[in-house]
Amino acid sequence: MLAERLAAIDAELAAHDLPRDRPVGIRAKKSPEAIALVLACLQRGLPFVLPSVELAADTLDQLFAQAGVSRVLAPLSHGEDGAAVLVGDPPAGGEAMWPPPGASDGGVSFMLTTSGSTGLPKIVPLAPSGVDRFTEWAATQFEIGPSTAVLNYAPLNFDLCLLDIWTTLKVGGRVVLVDQDRATNGAYLADLVTERSVNVVQAVPMLYRLLIDEARESGRVFDSVRYALTTGDKMPASTLKELPELFPNSRLFNVYGCTETNDSLLYEFDLADGNVPTDIPIGQPLTGVTALIDDGNDGYIDGPGVGELVVKTPFQTSGYLNPALNEGKFFTMPDNGDEPRRFFRTGDIVRRHDDASITLEGRSDFYVKVRGVRVSTQVVEQAIQEHPSVIEVAVVAVPDELAGSRLHALVRREGDSKLNSLSLRQHCTSRLARTEMPSTIEIVTEPLPKTPTGKIDRKRCGPRQERSHARG
Amino acid sequence: MDNTPKVKEFIVAEFMPDVSVDELDADFDLLEGGVVDSLGLLKVVAWLETEFNIEVDDSELGPESFRTVTAISDYIGQAQTSNAD
Repeated sequence: MLAERLAAIDAELAAHDLPRDRPVGIRAKKSPEAIALVLACLQRGLPFVLPSVELAADTLDQLFAQAGVSRVLAPLSHGEDGAAVLVGDPPAGGEAMWPPPGASDGGVSFMLTTSGSTGLPKIVPLAPSGVDRFTEWAATQFEIGPSTAVLNYAPLNFDLCLLDIWTTLKVGGRVVLVDQDRATNGAYLADLVTERSVNVVQAVPMLYRLLIDEARESGRVFDSVRYALTTGDKMPASTLKELPELFPNSRLFNVYGCTETNDSLLYEFDLADGNVPTDIPIGQPLTGVTALIDDGNDGYIDGPGVGELVVKTPFQTSGYLNPALNEGKFFTMPDNGDEPRRFFRTGDIVRRHDDASITLEGRSDFYVKVRGVRVSTQVVEQAIQEHPSVIEVAVVAVPDELAGSRLHALVRREGDSKLNSLSLRQHCTSRLARTEMPSTIEIVTEPLPKTPTGKIDRKRCGPRQERSHARG
Repeated sequence: MDNTPKVKEFIVAEFMPDVSVDELDADFDLLEGGVVDSLGLLKVVAWLETEFNIEVDDSELGPESFRTVTAISDYIGQAQTSNAD
């Protein structure tokens, strides 16, 4: 089926005489047809941008324009005259950044996108050699072979698919696709895992929660699963402790990685005797990976301590398609006569403990210094969010002449609640340190400003007078 | 003379304009609650000096004297008594 579809698409692409030295854009929701289209591009050596189809139409056009695509392709399941692919013109306008300056390593295959906190997603070009190194590692590490069934939970544009879909198909295994529209339906998910005899699962903690809730009702266990991988989010202890029973024949791993570097660290849970860690280590660097903890002073922490995680992996991109974005994210470490050592700043603050294990503390973007003390605005937001009358909250650092910076909280309360800054402060006193307490609290009833992808736009959540300037 | 209402009015107007004066308990811990931080303390002192003509000695400028509305009010009372001596 897939082979026939692939042949049909390949023939249609051949007829269009696409330039080999320019990428195409792929506009596709996850489906077997979409997968065949990606395979056709890989087979023809065509670079391709694969953004989320859930982005706004304008954003997709901007991304395709930035990548300088020759055509925009979309898979057709029942096209006119049996056509398998819709070939559209590239969007007009915009400055094309193609080709990426650092792509010396045999060109580009996948171009994934990573969500910035604001603005246009960043395009991450991957070299075929890096993708090959990753698929070889993944197939070996998780014993993925011709008889393996791997569940794909993530949307098609996620880097997680490099394991679920692209590694599996490369070795001739079977991919079990989760329908994106039913991704929160526990009964459907549980049926997929049991009926398709899934052996490998990689997903965010939410999938495991859904399976647990479903299994509790139906009393089933997922005994076909050999490897269960969790990634992308902190696994709650309440979910973790149920997993050995749910997957009696499975090893359990936490996978840490970024789109820019792909998988970097791996941790295997040992949950024997109900031994559930509350703070989950992100594990040890994979073979060929170097992981360092930046001390914030041009040095690296050898022993226990807290700092930003920087990594170098055999799978990583050579930089964003837009080279201006590399500043502060990629850097080259002075080498010792070896090849240049290009590192990526993950933006994740980690802690190395006395026993050398590493755990996540939060995102560096959310760390600010208030009167010389490092404070995580995420922690403050969580504390405020716990108030029952709070719908949403943004805590931002505001520059202050004396304090360096101070915290401002913009809080949206339930329309009928009487929440004010005093009652919110009372709520926070038991939850926050003095330095974590916002200097100013503004309470509103209208929704907080949002980015085009629906996340809170913290750049527009400052104190009122500064907000009106930012908007103007 | 009880300065509590006046202190409350000042604190609310300066640090929490969305709150009504009645809601602020005179014994609410202003420091713990983050209402008055070390910079806010300077504003309180400046207000005491202009409003009550009190000279606040730097050595007395411990946060304990200004932890609650009651504490500030008491401080004013003591300062005015010693001025009158």
